[in-house]
Order: sequence, then structure tokens, then C-alpha cells
Amino acid sequence: MLKPFFNRIVLIAGSTVILGLIAGCSAFRGPLYPDIIYNNRQPLISVTYEYGEIELILPIKYDAAVPDNILFKIFTQGDTLHPVISILQEAPKEFLAYLPQGVLDIQNSTNLIEIIPQDKNFDPVSVRFKGIRFGRILMPPKTIRMGQLIVSGNTFLNKNDSTLASVDISLQSYDNIIHETQSNRSGSFQLAIPGEYRYAKHLRIVAGENLIFKPYTKKLDFSKVRKLKMDIGLGPSDEMKEPLYMTNKNNVHFREGPDIGSETLFLLEEGEIISVTRVTPGEYHGFIEVDLDDEKSVQMDGWIERTDLRLVNLHNVYEQTVEY
Amino acid sequence: MNLMKYYYKRIAASLLLTVSLVGQVKLAVNTIPTRVDVHLDGINLGSSPIKNERVTPGVHKFEIKKKGYAPLTYDLLVNPAQAVQLDFFLNPVYKVRFKTEEKGLVFELNGEHRWDVQLVRLELEAGNHFLRVFKIGEIIDEQTIRVDEPKKFNYYLKKPLSEE
Repeated sequence: MLKPFFNRIVLIAGSTVILGLIAGCSAFRGPLYPDIIYNNRQPLISVTYEYGEIELILPIKYDAAVPDNILFKIFTQGDTLHPVISILQEAPKEFLAYLPQGVLDIQNSTNLIEIIPQDKNFDPVSVRFKGIRFGRILMPPKTIRMGQLIVSGNTFLNKNDSTLASVDISLQSYDNIIHETQSNRSGSFQLAIPGEYRYAKHLRIVAGENLIFKPYTKKLDFSKVRKLKMDIGLGPSDEMKEPLYMTNKNNVHFREGPDIGSETLFLLEEGEIISVTRVTPGEYHGFIEVDLDDEKSVQMDGWIERTDLRLVNLHNVYEQTVEY
Repeated sequence: MNLMKYYYKRIAASLLLTVSLVGQVKLAVNTIPTRVDVHLDGINLGSSPIKNERVTPGVHKFEIKKKGYAPLTYDLLVNPAQAVQLDFFLNPVYKVRFKTEEKGLVFELNGEHRWDVQLVRLELEAGNHFLRVFKIGEIIDEQTIRVDEPKKFNYYLKKPLSEE
């Protein structure tokens, strides 16, 4: 009967003791300050970046000749003054470079590889390209050629130095036309042929095949220079007085005298100009210009059969519209 | 027809994924201690260590909270790199008992936390804390206390704190 009562007393007493112990301990330990107190110390943080590489591969091909060494310069972000890398190496089949991440323009093709052969026979070439952040760029092959050989100048009429437009001009090796063009309205022309013709023999320029005169022909020598400046005078010079005639066929005899059997001084080609001074029923006497090696010419007189000549109209020197 | 649609969707999804991944920086986050929730720009990335996440170049905010450690907020300008790894060393908060036999003193820590009892339990971030002691409204002592483990400080007037 009393057992439950004692149990309850023991339970209450036990609880009171425990609570008392807790309260006592708490009083012994002191109160807890309500906030955590920070000192705003800078925490230790480590940031490590890993940057990728850009592997740049440019296959190189060579046309006809190979330079000894090539200087490669890589420019980025449109800056063509300060290369990010310059590499001088023996002419490779493949140019390989490693660039750090982030140097290339990845939006536009403002990155540039300049290829500068260390040989004056070759011209520098450049390749523009768009970059990537990192990884590999395999570019299409670039061909390195010997520098072009260039002939430029003006065409004019020898008689009065007036500009001659639309004159046919060609570069020929033997009788093969390598390249041809026409002078423009202001008489200017420019011809460019591949560099491998630099040491070709029998290379010549021919001008005026569409004119009534004998075409101008001159041998070209590129062995010392790759660019030639050449002003080409066509037709008779001012020294040749009118009336002017010209031969109407090839192999026209230009003889010392009017007599049959007189010595032939030259066999003239079609289009050769004669300044006629005397006329007989069957023969014309006059002067022709003979070109010398030093770009000068001399006049020589002689006789030509009248039927081998036609009158020259200098107001229209073009073959297609010539008036007989 | 449905099969073709499915494949088109798959291709479109993978293209979209490729495009979205281009320009992103691989992210890894380590913390000491580990198994801490890391928030990036308010989004929970999960529990550390975190690997193979992606982040765009630019400014991002990292927030880390763990009980027993000082919360950490860090703004980082992520460079356009291939990958970035962050290691955070969290500052622990230690339990400290502060006791004095002196009477009538008011203690102030770091210029803002005050108490006037002779025994108090504090939770202090590891590192240095600046202690000021007042008596009748006047500063009578200033000291820097260093906390690098759970400890008990005994304060005696005009003497350096003694540790137990």
C-alpha cells in the first residue's frame, strides 16, 4: 500500500537532486554569453587556377624552292607590333607553337601568324585566324612560294611621248606566254610571274602586238632584282620625219641602192617604219631606225620597193582599227 | 517519326549542352573541415568536397556556414581559365571560460560585447580579440587575448590574463 507512495517520493527526490546538480553545475560554470564573438579574421583561402594550353599547328608547303630558315611571329588581338612569340627555325613541314590560354582573340580573326622566310627570294606571308580558349588549332596548309617577279611601267608613243593605252603586253619564255596584260587608260601596266622564273633564260617582254608597229621586245634579267621598272616607247621616234611609211609584210629588202641587184642591208619585218625622203616610180628612199644594245638607236638610209610599204596614220596606231 | 523526333531532341540537347559548357570554368571546392554545404550565388552546390562543377568567368559569391565555425563569405572574380580550385580553411569557434576574482569590473571584447559577471562562458572565433576592462565607467586595462583552443582565462587586475 505504501510502496507506490515511497516510489513517488524517491522519484521526486531524485529529480530534485538532479535538477539541483544541474543548477549547481551551471552556476559553477557561469552563464553563457548570448552571441558568438567573431573577430572578423580573414579566413585562409587558396585559389588555384589551371590554365589550358593552345596548341597551334600550321602545315607548311613549299612551291619549287625551300628557304633555309623561317622566322615565325605570332601576333594576337589585332596587335601587329608586339608578337607574343617569335620562333626562328629551319624551314619546317609543320609549324608548331604552344600559347598560353587567354592570349588569342576568340571572337574575331585578329590573330596573325607572320611567316618571314630568311631568304630575299621569298616574300613574307601572313595567316589570320580566330582563336580558341584552349585546345588545338589545326590550320589549313600554307604554301611558301618564291617571291613574284614584277615588271611595271608605262607605254607611250615615241613620236610625241603621249600615253598609249590598251597596249598588249606579255612576258614570254621562248615563245610561250607566261603572263599577259594590257596597259590601262593612263598607260600603266604591271606584270607578275612566279619566282621560279628568276633565273630563266630567254625571258622577254613583248609589247604592242595589237599595234600597227613592230612589237617592242626586250630580254629581261631578274637575276639581281625581282622588280623591274620599264617604260616602253612604241612606234617611230621624233627623229623620224614624215611622211612615214611602214612595211606591209615580212622579209622586205632594205637595199643600199634603187637598182635591181643592189646590196640588201636588212630584211625588215612587217611594221617597220620608214621615214621617206625621196620617191621614184618603183622605189622609196628613206631612213629606218636601228636599235642598239644600249637603248639608243641610229638611223640608216636605204631603198625599198614601193609595193612593200603603206602609209602610216599616227592618229590610229591600233591594229584593229587601222585605216589603209 | 516519334523516334526521329526523339533523336533530334537528343542531338539538340547535346548541342545545347556543348554550347553552354564552352566558356565555362571547371570548379572544385575543398573545405577544412569537410562536409560543409557550399553556396554559390545563393545556390547550394552540395556538401564539400565539390568537384566537376562549372562556373562562368566573372564575379561570384561563395558562402559557407557550419556550426562551430565562423561563417565565410568570399567574392571571387573567376578568370577565364580551364579550371579553378578553391580551398577554404574555416575559422573554428572555441568555447572559452572567462573568470575573475575582481569585483565591480565591466569587460568588453572587440568593442561591442560586454559583461560584468565574474564568470562567463564565451564562444570566440579563433584568433586575436581585443579586451577592455572598465571600472566605474573608466578604462583601466586593455589587452589582446589569443584564442587557439578551448581554454579558461583568469583575469587579475593589471596583470596579463592567465590561462588554465
